[in-house]
Amino acid sequence: MGVSMTTIMDAILSAAVAQHGGEAAHAAVAASHGVTGPLWIGLIPLLPLLGVVLVTLLACFNEKSKMPAWISVGLLAVSFLLTLFAYLGWNGHDAIHLKLWDWIGLSWGDLRGQTLAAGFAFYFDGLSLLWMLFVTGLACLIGLYASEYMEHDAGLGYCRFFAAFNLFVFSMSCLVMGDNLLMLFLGWEGVGLCSYLLIGYFYKKKSAVDAGMKAFVVNRIGDLGLLMGMLLTFTTFGTLQYDALFNQIHTGLTAGGTPLSQTWQVWAIPLLLMGGAFGKSAQLFFYVWLPDAMEGPTPVSALIHAATMVTAGVYLVARMMPLYLADPAHIALTAVTWGGAITAFWSATIAVAQFDIKRIMGYSTISQLGYMFAGLGVLATTGGVFHVFTHAFFKATLFLSCGAVMHGFAGQLDMRKLSGLWSINGFRVVVIAMLIGCLNLSGFPFTGGYFSKDMIIAEAFVTPDSVIAGSSWAGWLLLLTAGMTAYYTFRVFFRVFVGPVVYEPGEDLHAHDDHEHADAHGHGHGHDDAHDHAAEHFHPHGPKWAINLVLTLLSVGCILSAGLYFLGDHHGWAGGMVHASSAVVDTHAVEGGEEALLFGQPPHEIMFYISAVFGFGGILLAAWFHGPKGIAGLLIGGRTTAAEVRMDPIAKALRPISTWAVRKWYVDEFYHLVLVTPLKIFAHLFHWFDKLIVDGLVNFFGATPRVSSDAIGESTQTGVLHDYALRMVAGIAVVLVVVVLVLF
Amino acid sequence: MHALLADSTLTGGLLTLAQSDFPHALSTLTLNHYLFVSAAMFALGIIGFLTRRNLIIMFLCTELMFQAAGLALIAFGRYHLNFDGQSFVIFVLTIAAAEAAMALALVVLLFRRRESLDADLWAELKG
Amino acid sequence: MTDKLALVWPEIWLFVTTCVVMVVGLSPDLRVRKLCGWISALGLVVAIGAAVPVAHAGGLFPSITPYAKGMIGVVGLMLLPLLAGTVDRDLDAAIESGKATFSALRSNRAEFYAFFLFSLTGLMLTASADDLIWLFLALELTSLPTYIMVTISTRGTRSQEAGVKYFFLGALGAAIFLYGFALIYGATGTTDLAEIAAAFRAQSEAGGLNTIGVAGLAVALIGLCFKIAAVPMHMYAADVYQGAASGVSAMLAFVPKTAGFLAIIMLCGAVGWTHGATHDSLPAPIYILLWVIAAATMFTGNLLAIRQSSVKRILAYSSVAHSGYMLVGVIAGPGSGHGTFWDNGIAAVLFYLLTYGVTNVGTFAVLASIQKPNGEEADDIADIRGLHGTRPHLAGAMLLCVLSLLGMPPLLGFFGKVGLFTSAISAGEIPLVIVLGLNSAIAAFYYLRIARAAYLEPADEHVETRAGPIPQRVFAAVLSASAVVLLLTVAQMLMERSVTASGYHAPHAGMADTPHEALDLTRADD
Repeated sequence: MGVSMTTIMDAILSAAVAQHGGEAAHAAVAASHGVTGPLWIGLIPLLPLLGVVLVTLLACFNEKSKMPAWISVGLLAVSFLLTLFAYLGWNGHDAIHLKLWDWIGLSWGDLRGQTLAAGFAFYFDGLSLLWMLFVTGLACLIGLYASEYMEHDAGLGYCRFFAAFNLFVFSMSCLVMGDNLLMLFLGWEGVGLCSYLLIGYFYKKKSAVDAGMKAFVVNRIGDLGLLMGMLLTFTTFGTLQYDALFNQIHTGLTAGGTPLSQTWQVWAIPLLLMGGAFGKSAQLFFYVWLPDAMEGPTPVSALIHAATMVTAGVYLVARMMPLYLADPAHIALTAVTWGGAITAFWSATIAVAQFDIKRIMGYSTISQLGYMFAGLGVLATTGGVFHVFTHAFFKATLFLSCGAVMHGFAGQLDMRKLSGLWSINGFRVVVIAMLIGCLNLSGFPFTGGYFSKDMIIAEAFVTPDSVIAGSSWAGWLLLLTAGMTAYYTFRVFFRVFVGPVVYEPGEDLHAHDDHEHADAHGHGHGHDDAHDHAAEHFHPHGPKWAINLVLTLLSVGCILSAGLYFLGDHHGWAGGMVHASSAVVDTHAVEGGEEALLFGQPPHEIMFYISAVFGFGGILLAAWFHGPKGIAGLLIGGRTTAAEVRMDPIAKALRPISTWAVRKWYVDEFYHLVLVTPLKIFAHLFHWFDKLIVDGLVNFFGATPRVSSDAIGESTQTGVLHDYALRMVAGIAVVLVVVVLVLF
Repeated sequence: MHALLADSTLTGGLLTLAQSDFPHALSTLTLNHYLFVSAAMFALGIIGFLTRRNLIIMFLCTELMFQAAGLALIAFGRYHLNFDGQSFVIFVLTIAAAEAAMALALVVLLFRRRESLDADLWAELKG
Repeated sequence: MTDKLALVWPEIWLFVTTCVVMVVGLSPDLRVRKLCGWISALGLVVAIGAAVPVAHAGGLFPSITPYAKGMIGVVGLMLLPLLAGTVDRDLDAAIESGKATFSALRSNRAEFYAFFLFSLTGLMLTASADDLIWLFLALELTSLPTYIMVTISTRGTRSQEAGVKYFFLGALGAAIFLYGFALIYGATGTTDLAEIAAAFRAQSEAGGLNTIGVAGLAVALIGLCFKIAAVPMHMYAADVYQGAASGVSAMLAFVPKTAGFLAIIMLCGAVGWTHGATHDSLPAPIYILLWVIAAATMFTGNLLAIRQSSVKRILAYSSVAHSGYMLVGVIAGPGSGHGTFWDNGIAAVLFYLLTYGVTNVGTFAVLASIQKPNGEEADDIADIRGLHGTRPHLAGAMLLCVLSLLGMPPLLGFFGKVGLFTSAISAGEIPLVIVLGLNSAIAAFYYLRIARAAYLEPADEHVETRAGPIPQRVFAAVLSASAVVLLLTVAQMLMERSVTASGYHAPHAGMADTPHEALDLTRADD
C-alpha cells in the first residue's frame, strides 16, 4: 500500500524530478553509497516553511479565525504522511540522499580540508527517519491540540504562535534530516530561536521573558561547544558531510594522515559536541533553563521542551556515534554516561519535592533525557533511541494532560489545590490519558517506557566497567532513579486525578496562557468576570473535541509504542532503525569477551523483574503517602483533603533537606551568585571603562572634524566672490608648489 | 621661405616669424617671447580679476586670459607649422563672444537688482 | 567625415530636439508649451537609442560612447521630472487667472529646457571628444547653459548671486584649462588626443616628458577641477547649489562633474598610466598633483559638510567629497587593462558617476518636493524633520538615497565605492585608500544626520512645510530611490559595460605623423 502510494507520489512529481534530474544524479555521484531519494522528500521540511509564510500572511491580514491552526495542522499532516511514505518506501538499510541545492561552497586550495562544501541536502537513514516520524507526527497532533488550547488568543497572538510553531518544525526537520553538520547547525540554531520565541510567548509577563532569555543564554554556552566541535571536526577530518566524515573516521586516520588514536581531537571533539548536546538537552550544569521554559504555552512545553527539541542533543550524540567510538579510551562516552546518570538522579530528587505539576513534568523530562544519554554512553544506542521515541509519546501525553487541567482550572497547577479530577465532569479522557502516561513514565511492566528504560539500565550492567568507567554504578543509580520516577509520577496522579473533589481556580482566572488579553477577549469560558467573584462562580470546564481527540490518539500511541519492542529482529523496531544508521554499535567489537552478569543472570533478562520491582515500589510508596482512601489509592492511601498528605510530617522531619529540595537545591541561586553576579560586576566595570575611555576617545575623534570643519568653513567660505577667486588662485599656487617640492 | 623657417626651427630652435626685411630686433623674435607675453597677459588677467570689483572689468579680465591662451596657441601653431593652433583660436574667439553675450546679459540683470556693479555686494550665501 | 558624424547621432538628435523645444516653448497655448518636457524626454530616449549601437569609435577611449551617453541620457531623463515647473510657474498662473497675457519675452520655459538639452548635448560631445578643440568646445557647451539655468532658476536674489559666482569663477576656470590646452598643444604639436598620446609616448621613450607638456597637463587638470568642484576650485560649489533651485542643483552635481571627469580621464589617458618606476602610474608631477587634490578634496568636502545646517549645502560639499573619491579611481588607472571591474579604476569612476548621478537626483528631488510657506523649496535640515510622519514615501526615498551615497551595502552606491577601493588597492595606493576610508566614515556623520532628521526627530512646530505643487518631483524622488535598489539587479551588467567603456588604447610611438623631438624652450632663448 505504502509503496504504491509512493509510486503515485513519484508520478505526480515526475515532472519536477525530471527537471532536477541533473542535480539528483549529482547527489548520487556525491554519495559514496546509498540511494537517491525522490524530490518530494524535500517537501517534508519545506511544507512547514510554507506554513510560516502563510500564517505570517494571515497575520498581515489580521485574521481572527482559527485558520492559522488549520493551515498548520494540514501542512504538518501532509509532512507526516510524506515522512511515512518515505519510511515505507525505504529499503531498510541504505541511506536515502537528496540534495536540493548547493548551499555553501568555500574553497581556498586543493588539499583535503580546504573545501568547505555543504548542500541543502537530506540524509535519511534509520535514525533520521525514526526522529522525523515522531517529530512530524507529534507536531501535527500537538498543533491540533493547540488549535483549541490557544483559542482565547485568536488573532495576532494565534498567528504568532503558529508561525513560530511551523518554523520550529522546519528547523527541527533541517536538524534531523540534514546531511551535514552545517545543516544540523542551521536547524539547531533555528529550534533554539523558536524555543526562545515560544517560551517568551506571553511577552508581557516578566517571568516568561526572563525564562526565554535564560533558555537562550544557557543554550548559547552549549552551542559554543557545538560550534567548536564542528570546526575541529572540519579541521581534523576535512569534511562536515556525514558519509564522508564516517568514511574518514572508518579509516582511523585524520585528513592529514595521522592515526586518530594519537590525536587529542579524538576525545576533544566528542566532548565539545557533548557540551552542545547537554546544552540543548538540558543536562548536567545546563539543565536550569528547562524547568523555567515551562512558562511557555503547554503545547510548546509538550512538543519542544519534552518530545522533540530537547532530544536534539541525543540525536547529535547518536548521529556522531562513530566519532565517540573512535576514541579507544572512551573518555567522551564515559562523560556522557555519567552526565546522563547524574542528571537523571539529580532532577528526580528535585521532582519529588515540587508541587507545580507542570514543573514536575519538566524535571522528569530532564531526568528521562539523562536516561537517554546514559543509554548512549553505555553503548545502548538502541535503548537510548527507543527511549527517545517512547518518551516523546508518553511525555507529550503527560504534558498535554497537564495542559488540559491548566486550561480547565484557569491556570491552576498546584497539586495542593487540585484533587479528584476523575469525578469532575468532562475530565475522564484527561485522567485516562494521564494514567497511561504515568504508567509509561514510571516503567510499569509491558508499557513502552518499561521496555525502553530496561534496555538502557540492563546495558549499563552489561557494558564492562573497563570500557565505560563505572558503568554498573551508573546502572544502580539509574535503577534507583527509576523508583523515584515512579514515586513522583504517581504522586501527581494520586493527588490530582483521583480522590475527593477539591479545586481552586488559578490566579489568572482566564487561561493561564493569556495575560495580555485578559479583557480583550470575551468568550464562552464563562469566567471572565472580575477576579474576586470569579472564584465563587468558577466552574471548571473540560476540554473539547480537539484536546480529547489528541489525548486519545496519543494514549493509543503510548500503548502501541510498547508493541514496537517486539517488532523486527534487532531488539525491536527501534533496534532495526538504529541498525541501519550511523548510531549502530557493534557491542561485541567494542566489548569483546563474555557478557557481565547481574545476580548471576544475564542483565537483559533479569532486568525486567528488577525494574518492575522498583517501579511497583515507587507506585506503592506514592499510594501510601499521597493516595486517597479507597480503591483509587490502591486501598493503602489515606488522603482526605487536597493539601494534606502522609508525606507532610516526614518532609517536616527531614528539614532542611526537604526545603532545599523544594527550592531545587538552590542551584539557580548558586549560579546567580557564582556566575551572574561576577559577570554583572564586570559588566559595570566595563560599562564605565566604555563610557569614560572608549566614548571619550570616540568623542575626541568626533570633535576633531567638527572643530576643523568650523575653522575651515568660517575662514574660507566667506561668500565674497573675490575671496573665493583669491583662494582658488592661492590654492592652485599651493598645489603646484607642493608638486614641485615633492619632485625636487 | 618655408624651407628657411623649417630649417631654422630644426637647426637652431630659433623661430623667425617676421619677414627678413623687418628690423633685426623684431625678426629674431623667438617662441619664448610670445609665450612670455602670453603668460604676462594671463597673469595680468588673474591679477585684474582678483583686484577689480567691477563685474564688467572682471569679465574683461577673463577675456584677457582667454586671449592669452589664444596668443600662445597662435605662437605654438606657427612654431609647429600646422594650423591646429590657429583653428583652435577661431573657436576660442567664438566661445569668448558667446561668453561675452552671456556676461553682458547677466550684468544687466544684476545691475537692475542691486543698482551697482560691485561684485562683492553679492555675499548673502556663505558658510 | 561622415563616419565621424555617425558617432554623434545622439548629439544631433538632441540638437534637433532642442530646436523643436525652443520653438514649441514659445507657443501662446499653455498646453503646447507644456509639451516641452515631453519632447525633451522623447529626444533623450532617441539619443539613448542612437548611442547604444555605437560600439566602436575612434579616439583614446573608443568604446566609451554607449555607456557614457546611455548614462547621460538616463540621468537626464531622471532630471527632467525634477526640473519640471522650475520656471514660469508664476507666469502661467497669472495667465490662467487672466491677470496677464502671454508674452514670449517674459516666458523662460523654452530657454530653460533648451539650455538643459544643450548642456546634455555638450556632455555627450565631451564623451566622444577625440580632439582638444572638440573637448574645449564640448566643455563650454556643457557649462555655458548651466550658468543661465542657475541664474533664472528662481526669482529670488539668491539664484542671481549663485549665477554671478558660478559664471565668473567658471570663466576663470575655463581660462585656466584653456591655457593648459594651449600648452599641451605646444608641447606636442597637435590637438588630436590620440596623436598627443603618441607624442607623449615618444617623448617619454626618448628620455622624458616635455616640461611644457607636463605643465600644460597640470594647468588643464587644475582648471578642470572647477568642473568637478575639487579643491582648490570648489569654493563656489556650496553657494551655487544652495542658491539655485533644487532641480538645477541636482543637474549641477551631475552634468559638469561628469564632463569634468570625462575630460580628466581623457587627458590622463593621453599621457598614459605608463610612467613611474613600474610603468603603471601617471607621470610623477601629475600623480602628485592629483594625489594632493584628491586627498584635499575628500577632507575639505566632508569636513565642511559637517557644520552645515542647510541640506543643499551638505549635499554640495558631499558632492565635492565624491569628486575626491572618484579622483582616487583616476589615480589608480585602468589597471592591467584586461582585468576585471575590481582592479579597473577608470571603470570604477564611470560606474560611480552613474550611481552618483542616479542617487543624487533623489536627494534633491525630495527637497524640491517640499515647500515652505513662503513658496521656497525646502533647504534647511529643520524643514525635513519628521518627514517620516508627514510624507513617508519622501522620507523613504531620502533614506535610501543618502544611504546609497554613504555607500551602505547592499545599495547601489556601495558597489560604486567598492570599485574605487579595490582598484586603488590593486594599484597599491594604500595611503589613499586609508584617506578614502577615513572620509567615508566622516561622511556617515552628515548623511546619517539627514536620515535621522527625516526619521527620528519630531517636526519642528514653528517650521511648516507642505507638499510642493509639482507631483513630477515626487515621482523623480521615488524613481531615483527605486533605481538605487532596482539597478542592483543589473549592476553586474553595468559594471561589465563600464569595464568595456574604460577600454583604453594605450598609444604607441609612431602614431603621430610629426614625431617632434622634445620642445626645447631653453634653447630658443639664445
